[in-house]
Amino acid sequence: MSQVAESSHAPTSTGIDHKKLIMWLFLASDCMFFGTLISTHLLYRKLYPTGFTDAEGHQRFIQNLFNIELTSFSTFILLMSSFLMALAVSAMHKGQIKSFRRNILGVIFFGLIFLGCQVYEFTHFLHQGLTIQNSVFGSTFYVLTGTHGTHVAIGVLWLIILYFYSFTGKLVGHMGALDVEIAGLYWHFVDIVWIIIFTAVYLVEYLGPTGFWGTGLPLTK
Amino acid sequence: MFSRIFNKVHLFTISIFGILVSACSRDDLNVRQSTLDPKGPVAQMQFDVFMDTVWLVVILFALVGGLLVYAVIKFRARPGQDARPKAEKGHGNPLIEIGLITASIGALVFIAIPTLNAIWYTDDVPAEAIPTSKLSAWYQQLDENGKENYPKELAGDVLEIDVIGKQWWFRFEYPQLGLTSDAKHTVPNEIVIPRGKAVRLNLRSEDVIHSFWLPKIAGKVDLMPGRKNKMWIQGDQAGHYYGQCAEFCGDSHAYMLFRCNVVEPEEFAKWVKEQKKEAAPVEPNSKAEKGKALFAAKTCAMCHNISGHFGAGNFGPDLTHIASRRSLAGAWLDNRERKAQLILETQTKNTESTTPVDPAVLKANLIKWIGSSGTSHGIDGKPSKDVKPGNRMHYYKMFNVVGLNESQQKFTAEELDCLAEYLLTLK
Amino acid sequence: MSHDTHHAPVASKLELAPERSDLGLIRPDRSTGWADWLTTVDHKKIGIMYGAFAMLFFLLGGVEALAIRTQLSRPDNDFVTARMYNQLFTMHGTTMIFLGVMPLSAAFFNFLVPLQIGARDVAFPRLNAFSLWTFVAGALVLNSSWLFEFGHLSGWFNNFDWYKSLVYTDFAPANGWFSYAPLSGTFGQANAALQAPRFTGVGTDFWIIGLQILGVASLAASFNFICTIINMRAKGMTMMRLPVFTWMTLVTSILIILAFPAITVALIELMFDRQFGANFFNPSAGGQPILWQHLFWIFGHPEVYILVLPAMGIVSEVLPTFSGKSLFGYPIIVFSGAVIGFLGFAVWSHHMFTTGLGAVPTAAFALLTMAIAVPTGVKIFNWLGTLWGGRIRFTPPMVLSLGFIWMFMCGGFSGVMHSAAPADAQQQDSYFVIAHFHYVLLGGVLLGLMSGLYFWFPKIFGRMPNAPIAYIASGLVILGFNLAFGPMHYLGLAGQPRRTHTYHAGNGWETWNYVATIGAFILGIGIFLAFANLVWTAFKGKKCSPDPWDGRTLEWSLPSPVPEYNFARSPIIATRDAYNEDKYGEKKIGYENDGGEAGIHMPSQSWMPLVAGFGFLMIGIGMPLIAMGVPHAGWVVISGLGVMFLGILLWALEGPGGYMLKTPTPSSPAPVTANTSSY
Repeated sequence: MSQVAESSHAPTSTGIDHKKLIMWLFLASDCMFFGTLISTHLLYRKLYPTGFTDAEGHQRFIQNLFNIELTSFSTFILLMSSFLMALAVSAMHKGQIKSFRRNILGVIFFGLIFLGCQVYEFTHFLHQGLTIQNSVFGSTFYVLTGTHGTHVAIGVLWLIILYFYSFTGKLVGHMGALDVEIAGLYWHFVDIVWIIIFTAVYLVEYLGPTGFWGTGLPLTK
Repeated sequence: MFSRIFNKVHLFTISIFGILVSACSRDDLNVRQSTLDPKGPVAQMQFDVFMDTVWLVVILFALVGGLLVYAVIKFRARPGQDARPKAEKGHGNPLIEIGLITASIGALVFIAIPTLNAIWYTDDVPAEAIPTSKLSAWYQQLDENGKENYPKELAGDVLEIDVIGKQWWFRFEYPQLGLTSDAKHTVPNEIVIPRGKAVRLNLRSEDVIHSFWLPKIAGKVDLMPGRKNKMWIQGDQAGHYYGQCAEFCGDSHAYMLFRCNVVEPEEFAKWVKEQKKEAAPVEPNSKAEKGKALFAAKTCAMCHNISGHFGAGNFGPDLTHIASRRSLAGAWLDNRERKAQLILETQTKNTESTTPVDPAVLKANLIKWIGSSGTSHGIDGKPSKDVKPGNRMHYYKMFNVVGLNESQQKFTAEELDCLAEYLLTLK
Repeated sequence: MSHDTHHAPVASKLELAPERSDLGLIRPDRSTGWADWLTTVDHKKIGIMYGAFAMLFFLLGGVEALAIRTQLSRPDNDFVTARMYNQLFTMHGTTMIFLGVMPLSAAFFNFLVPLQIGARDVAFPRLNAFSLWTFVAGALVLNSSWLFEFGHLSGWFNNFDWYKSLVYTDFAPANGWFSYAPLSGTFGQANAALQAPRFTGVGTDFWIIGLQILGVASLAASFNFICTIINMRAKGMTMMRLPVFTWMTLVTSILIILAFPAITVALIELMFDRQFGANFFNPSAGGQPILWQHLFWIFGHPEVYILVLPAMGIVSEVLPTFSGKSLFGYPIIVFSGAVIGFLGFAVWSHHMFTTGLGAVPTAAFALLTMAIAVPTGVKIFNWLGTLWGGRIRFTPPMVLSLGFIWMFMCGGFSGVMHSAAPADAQQQDSYFVIAHFHYVLLGGVLLGLMSGLYFWFPKIFGRMPNAPIAYIASGLVILGFNLAFGPMHYLGLAGQPRRTHTYHAGNGWETWNYVATIGAFILGIGIFLAFANLVWTAFKGKKCSPDPWDGRTLEWSLPSPVPEYNFARSPIIATRDAYNEDKYGEKKIGYENDGGEAGIHMPSQSWMPLVAGFGFLMIGIGMPLIAMGVPHAGWVVISGLGVMFLGILLWALEGPGGYMLKTPTPSSPAPVTANTSSY
């Protein structure tokens, strides 16, 4: 996807490359996209603060469902992948293609770990009785985090393509560094969105003794 | 040549508007669902705000439109002139701009104040309307025996009516007065309210979004599934009013109408008692008795309640008093004699005056309605046009319940006659 | 860059040997005829195709409108069934907004923006082609629902098992253009197959996926235009020297990229409700249908300005040209456009005054809605100021632009009436609203766009549309329009609700409905005539000079039709209204010494945008097929996804390519012609 954009020869009016500008525009649009999804989740959370009812008819609380340790771990992994991404971009700017490949492999690896955690989390929640059908919480949670996961997956795919593309010898110089930088912009954005989701969806449930939504103490374990 | 003709095109447009406006006579203002003929304080308030906007808009229209026409005529290029105007540069004049912006804001304040006032006035029953309409103050007094007791309702200060929307009819319940689904007394399609008393409507929907619109009494508020909307209305002039669902709600949205009877408080009390009566037993060995049996046999009783006869159904409209209502099938079919009604409206110059139910028309309507509803069947197996496409009579498919597919109810002309005769007894 | 070409400049691309892409595939650069149009990356050709498709769908939407009006001409009419009527008005609204007005605006964006800012193309030519073909795919998906509906009514599917087991048999969407949940969604509990009961059939699925695809097209195009306008301006073309049309394109594109995500999410949520039994809008499971309305109108109200602003931009170009004066208060016009765009995000709930918002939100949105009237009014004042003291020449575009101001003003006035929420309680969902937004969108936007068509057609094709026919058509349009929609103000106030397929005699609506129908047919004839005139002109019209109107902006300095490289030498701009100043003033347009000897770099053509667009078409048809239960429909979607990804991947890997084109005479731009207006 990195080569989707064409670049004109003439210097641009603002000095910012077209590709970088269009990526920023895309990210602005994506902000609204995630903003809408997160708002949907929060609105329904406020409306129905008591969690959900599982297949057996038990009232379930979100604190009991979430595995905050695992999610914190995957958040940390994603943050570290952003750090590696920054190293990869910096390596490309210096022309160190081998260092770039090393770092980008790291990003891909960490991204895959994050996705793995999410797959595990989804399966776990399903076993716990949370489905997309049985509650509004299930619908908003799976669609929001699933959309984010799709973004990560697309990012991983993009980076894998970039990795192999680097072996053709065409990912060089200023334009090559730019392509990597744009992929980096996307990756950082997805990372930042996750920080917001992690806060707004996961952490608030642990705020104070009864959670931000005042859901009360858990009844069942 | 064309340019000379078409620089007058705007004058032409104005004259068209003039014709349109002058063609509207006084009679056009009080048609059945007119918003320009308010008969209650809510509609009156909304009408007043509307007229404020009309005055503002007419003045602005005359000003801006006049200037536009003037400019187009005055500054048109004429033969023999320089090709270009002297004032080629016109980067705008800050004073004019600021002046015009200030003037526009001022003009908007002119409508903003009445708007804000009216928003709060129409939101819920205002304090000034409550004292005159305390339910405990007026309803009980009018009770003939003084024995009937409505413990819960009398605590309320305003008469409350639940309006329940369904595809495609309205159900009205009076919880304070014991006319509810649980009590097996509900009022489909014709809401009755006491004249001069504020009434609070609780708007609920059982399927999609509908909207309660009774133009001469009040503007619309939606019946929103999952939300508890409310509005208040008051009719200041007794009569028969026409309303309609105003939010698109599926196939037969156009057939989702309702009526409103504004009656004197004494009559209202009588009407409530009447509604609580059970259906009288049918005459033995009559057509009506056959019809009653058919009502059970053809599964009508699964959905329809007839207090005293059948009590199982509550999905369809309550038919206990069907023969007393002036309309049928979501108020789409009119049970009055059409010509007599139109003559009365013309004579009284008032669409609220109404003729009584005509039993012959009612019977014809019933036969047409029951016989045609459904898909590919009709009277004596002859397919007929659906009165109300997609309506739930016979359309079990819509419930999406396995095993409850479309029923193939077939009626002979004779069966329909008996059924109609039976329903005609339900006054 | 590795894609640079190393050949001597050629006079025509046909002189070169076929070029191979980085992948070794032969690129369609040397193609002519159909293949050339299908693979083109030239913004002018793409613009022309956008315009052609838009006019086609305009006519289709118009036919739907005439069917609606025919049905309503008499009380208790049965020209169409209730369901067909509901499908007609749903498709009419959706078609006119998403397949008519938006692509016609996009046609102008495409053709004009690079010319007005002195660029040789848009920033991403292949992305531009992708936008076009994705739009076409979305349009075909939406309208293919008519084919299925037709097949259903004709009994084509009677023998198929999937058809026999269908619970809902409506194939064309019938929810209205804003498809309020839960009518468009689900109710009750999902069954084992994750399907919850619904109110409507696959028509809604066609609508959902069609709009998603159109959203992709609009977003891609908007990214491209913002990038082009911000980044590809000629030297000296500062932001405050941009022609107003380009400014309005910029504001519109920003509105699109910020507003479309809201509806994208809403459509995804609705799709999950319908396909996977989710509960976003399912009231029986706690979903809130009101959320759909909020999400839809957060998109929907900016959408109104997305439709209107380009037309305002066109009028702001036409009026100065035929008044012989520069635009009165240029900065104010630009800023008011931006303010409208900004405030457009803060007034969405005025579409929901009757949903029981509560007094405080209603009051807030009423006041904000009144506030947005101010910048709109400012624009009208400034257009008036532009006319004031000018030398007004009457030409077809000028007449249409004046018509725009007049009709838009009326629509704006009824808009102010709606902002008074208590009055709106009576007007909402009545014919008064129909009248209001048709005055804005038809009397306003369509007249503006037609004005633009007649104004720039000589530039696009180098041929002048027939003026007498244009006048007759304009007259019919304005007359028919007012006859059709003027009475609807009254009908609404007389209590006729919108979206009702019939009404009883005795309600007092008969006369004016009949009049409105007559008006609609006059309007239809007028629009058909206006379009037919244009199509005829494109092929057979009288040739005309490059600057027939005595234009003011950069595009008029170019030959007609515009050569594929636009500017032989890139212009250097010294002032606003650059070409006018160049002709009559002191500050001449300078020219850079690019092009010339080395030739002009032209981008290579590509099949890949078309392939990716075709992938979207397969996905779009496949999803409703799944909902219908057609066997193996899932494979259509999967292969569609494959085709789309393959298209994008090959597109990414083939590289931009390109070749060098010789410019004919690098010495001077097109000869300056004096005031040659033939009117």
